Amino acid sequence: MSRTVDPKLLEILVCPLTKSALRYDPDRQELVSERARLAYPIRDGIPIMLVDEARPLDEGEVEGEVGAPPDLAGGRNPGVDTGGRP
Amino acid sequence: MVLRMSEQQSPSQAGPGAPGDITHFGFRTVPMTEKAGLVGHVFSTVADRYDLMNDLMSLGIHRAWKAAMLDWLSVRPGMHLVDVGGGTGDIALRFLQRGGGAVAVVDINPAMLAVGRNRALDAGHLGDIDWVCGDAERLPLADASVDAYTTAFCLRNVTRIDAALAEARRVLRPGGRFLCLEFGRVTVTALRRLYDPYSFRVLPALGQLVTGNGDAYRYLAESIRRFPAQQEFARMMADAGLDLVRYRNLSGGIAALHSAWRT
Repeated sequence: MSRTVDPKLLEILVCPLTKSALRYDPDRQELVSERARLAYPIRDGIPIMLVDEARPLDEGEVEGEVGAPPDLAGGRNPGVDTGGRP
Repeated sequence: MVLRMSEQQSPSQAGPGAPGDITHFGFRTVPMTEKAGLVGHVFSTVADRYDLMNDLMSLGIHRAWKAAMLDWLSVRPGMHLVDVGGGTGDIALRFLQRGGGAVAVVDINPAMLAVGRNRALDAGHLGDIDWVCGDAERLPLADASVDAYTTAFCLRNVTRIDAALAEARRVLRPGGRFLCLEFGRVTVTALRRLYDPYSFRVLPALGQLVTGNGDAYRYLAESIRRFPAQQEFARMMADAGLDLVRYRNLSGGIAALHSAWRT
């Protein structure tokens, strides 16, 4: 069974790693965290918000590379360490 | 999966210089990085029979415990709840039956969520519940986004309970309510004499019979003994910044209901 994610849910969902907002990609069925550079898959309509299950973004995929918001300007991966999961 | 009931091994066996990297899996000591996978295996294999087993193991008493949690929650229309670890929808469905507003179920196990979503569809709740696969230690919810946080028989399985409590506080709005239903320490001596043989002998046998996985229910009995006692858990809640911490024993302390607020 496949279906879209509830828009109300998208309002409160954030990246579990950076707690930043997510971008919904309906074509790939993913929730994209630009800040963590991770894409969380949506399987059977259920967002899988686990860092271990997320797909690292390719270089060209990160939007806002030019004219990035100030919090992204300081570094490529501010405060993010995906290797340190307990 | 082999679970032993032997005494806990010395933490030093995890290797020098890494005392913080081990945890419990039932009575076993395991690396912290392994616990989530071991717990995941337990729940994936029993998901389909999880609710049936709860009825059989507790003779249906878990229903009264869950009702007690919702009584204490004082559900009101428009209330936005996150239930953590309630993949099969047991708490979420009760919340809706009592007139609650929106509810998001966050569970780390997709198999448990699949059971819950099918059950909700059967009960006629199409789109009333949001199902999210997520980790209690790293909730994928915005700060101050919910009115209430409930968790029933989940935190025992979480690797870092303090991290889960901190996340609970973070996602609660000021004035929001925290409720945790979990196994406790039995306070009635006569009951304890029955409870120990029951949980270490009867439960694994029953689990083997019903789910085909006796080890999962041996883990259950062991993990109950590993979970902090009521007073200690209350202190952990306070340490996480939750206020007005209280608890109530249920069925002589077999279970306990913990309450706190984010002020």
